[in-house]
Amino acid sequence: MSEPKGRGAAATLERANPVRLRRRPTRPQLVKWGITAVLVLFALFALPQLMSLYYVDTMTQVAVYSMVAVALGVLVGRVGLVSLGQVAVLAIGAWSAARLLFATTQPYPLILLEAGLITMVAGVLIGLPALRLRGLYLALITLMLAGGITVVLATVNFPNGGHGFLGYNGSLLHIPPIRRPSIAAGDPAYYRFSVIIAILMFALVLAHIKTKPGRAWAAIRQSEAAALAAGINTTLYKLWAFALASFITGVAGGVLAGAIHYLYSINFPAQDSITLLAVVLMGGVYNLWGAGVAALLYQFLPSLLNNWGVSADWLVILFGVGVLQVLTTAPAGLVDQVPRDLARLRHRLSRRRGKRAPHD
Amino acid sequence: MPPWDNFEPFIVSGLALGGVYALSGVGLVVLYRATGVLYLAFGAVGALGALVAWSLITRAGAPGWVGWLACIVVAAAVTFGYGLLFGPALAKRDPLVKAVATIGLTLILYGAMDLLWTTSGGQARSLTLPTDNGGFTVGTVQVTWTQVIALGAGVVLTVVTSAFLRYTKLGTAMRAMANDREITATLGVPVRRVEAAAWLGCGVLAGVAGLLLADLVALDATTLTFLVISSLAAVLVGQLRSIPVTFAAAILVGLLHDLLTPIVALTNYRDMTPFVIAVIALLVMSRHRVIVTSREEA
Repeated sequence: MSEPKGRGAAATLERANPVRLRRRPTRPQLVKWGITAVLVLFALFALPQLMSLYYVDTMTQVAVYSMVAVALGVLVGRVGLVSLGQVAVLAIGAWSAARLLFATTQPYPLILLEAGLITMVAGVLIGLPALRLRGLYLALITLMLAGGITVVLATVNFPNGGHGFLGYNGSLLHIPPIRRPSIAAGDPAYYRFSVIIAILMFALVLAHIKTKPGRAWAAIRQSEAAALAAGINTTLYKLWAFALASFITGVAGGVLAGAIHYLYSINFPAQDSITLLAVVLMGGVYNLWGAGVAALLYQFLPSLLNNWGVSADWLVILFGVGVLQVLTTAPAGLVDQVPRDLARLRHRLSRRRGKRAPHD
Repeated sequence: MPPWDNFEPFIVSGLALGGVYALSGVGLVVLYRATGVLYLAFGAVGALGALVAWSLITRAGAPGWVGWLACIVVAAAVTFGYGLLFGPALAKRDPLVKAVATIGLTLILYGAMDLLWTTSGGQARSLTLPTDNGGFTVGTVQVTWTQVIALGAGVVLTVVTSAFLRYTKLGTAMRAMANDREITATLGVPVRRVEAAAWLGCGVLAGVAGLLLADLVALDATTLTFLVISSLAAVLVGQLRSIPVTFAAAILVGLLHDLLTPIVALTNYRDMTPFVIAVIALLVMSRHRVIVTSREEA
């Protein structure tokens, strides 16, 4: 609501002092935008042509989990709330989307929006009491709640075209697949669809980070007491973060429902939330690219190893080592560490060459 | 509501389960009080120990007691090693960071266990203690010695650990460190050594719990690794510090879980018991004041 007012004020100021306030994008910024655009176009148009269907399906999962990862990244990296129950939230999103898809003939994007909103309400209802707790206790209560939700889902089951509120019919012989949008029925098309949804969700997160909520979250992360003293409604903004993360995860659940056609509660074990936190920390929580890296680690690497005939257990071990490494030496994750190490290496190499030059 | 007779055997099994949860819970509380680490790999090291014991007994043909001892030694060694390696490095970090770091250890152990003792193929392993065969009957209910040991170990450990923390020099040092590590160090307490002792004790408890749970529940890496979440519920009710409350909550969780089994309408939901109890307890406690996890956050 404060958006138009802010822009109006900025516009007046801009007229008064055009030089200082018109921020021209700097060269590195332009390069970054260019790279992003090229990567997005590549992911949308070139990737599905280059890959077999197996990897197209994998990349659809990567798109889904990049949304889950970016939502968890907002909670952990921006606000400092660690949730150990995101897979249960994803399951709620997938459940509501599947139920709506079987019950109605609404267009798919609308269903995604509704699934996101339902999950958001659920997330806020869970978050409201949980936010009285902080730190370790908050992480543990989300773990407990996720455990409870997982047990309920295992009993209730996912909708499979049955009737009633739960939409589950255990004696159904022919289970209809969960439908996809008519324009994205094939796997490559559905992959593009999920990438576009993921981009929209990333944009939503970016819009939050660059504006008032993002600044409030940054203050809360530094010190909740100081944020409170500065007049920030900490409960509101923490709840807002929970709502945003739940919404995005719910939408991701909706995309997942169409991607795999059949949902089972064993797809959403509570312990996956723990692995998810591990990969999100490994990817990097202070950077949106980290979410993409986390999703690749979480979904693409297992497929790759599976294709090579290597056990996915090695990955679990790798994630464990990664968590320990991130927590002890590289808090910003791979996204930050790899470029930094490369730059350091380049620096060292060039210095050595530079030293040698005068001698020669 | 089923007749009372149906519940009787579940009281016994529930008490046994509660006893092991109490055992695990006490181990977690002691370590948390001394080092500020919530050891989420507790179940994983126990599972590793139990699987090593299984390999020694069934594959290598070792006598039973060698296997059981190996279980405890392996769990204690892994825990102790982790404590020595990562304890000091993370000592000054937030409790949350320390807890998440033990998730790293959990994942490493879990991956390794799945790799070495592959579960696919459906062949179920089992680790049976000789105390399963003997036993006695109370009324109409058969009680095995393993169940007695499980409950007994929980009770004895709760009493012994409380007394240890209360009356011994090492226990006092641990309690002091729970309050403030820096000041305790200034007072001349060998902080690292006390922490190492806590890690070792916690590891031994993890091994014992792993052995008992492998017998009482199932010898399966996934089940045992994530069973720690159930005892975590009891620890949470005890606010990560009270040993008697943890014990009571653990018995309640075990008992309620098993007592729900014969009730048809609720039997599918019985696995929710620890989570529901923990959530209710946390919410009730947090109604009156914000629970503080560390001094910096206060």
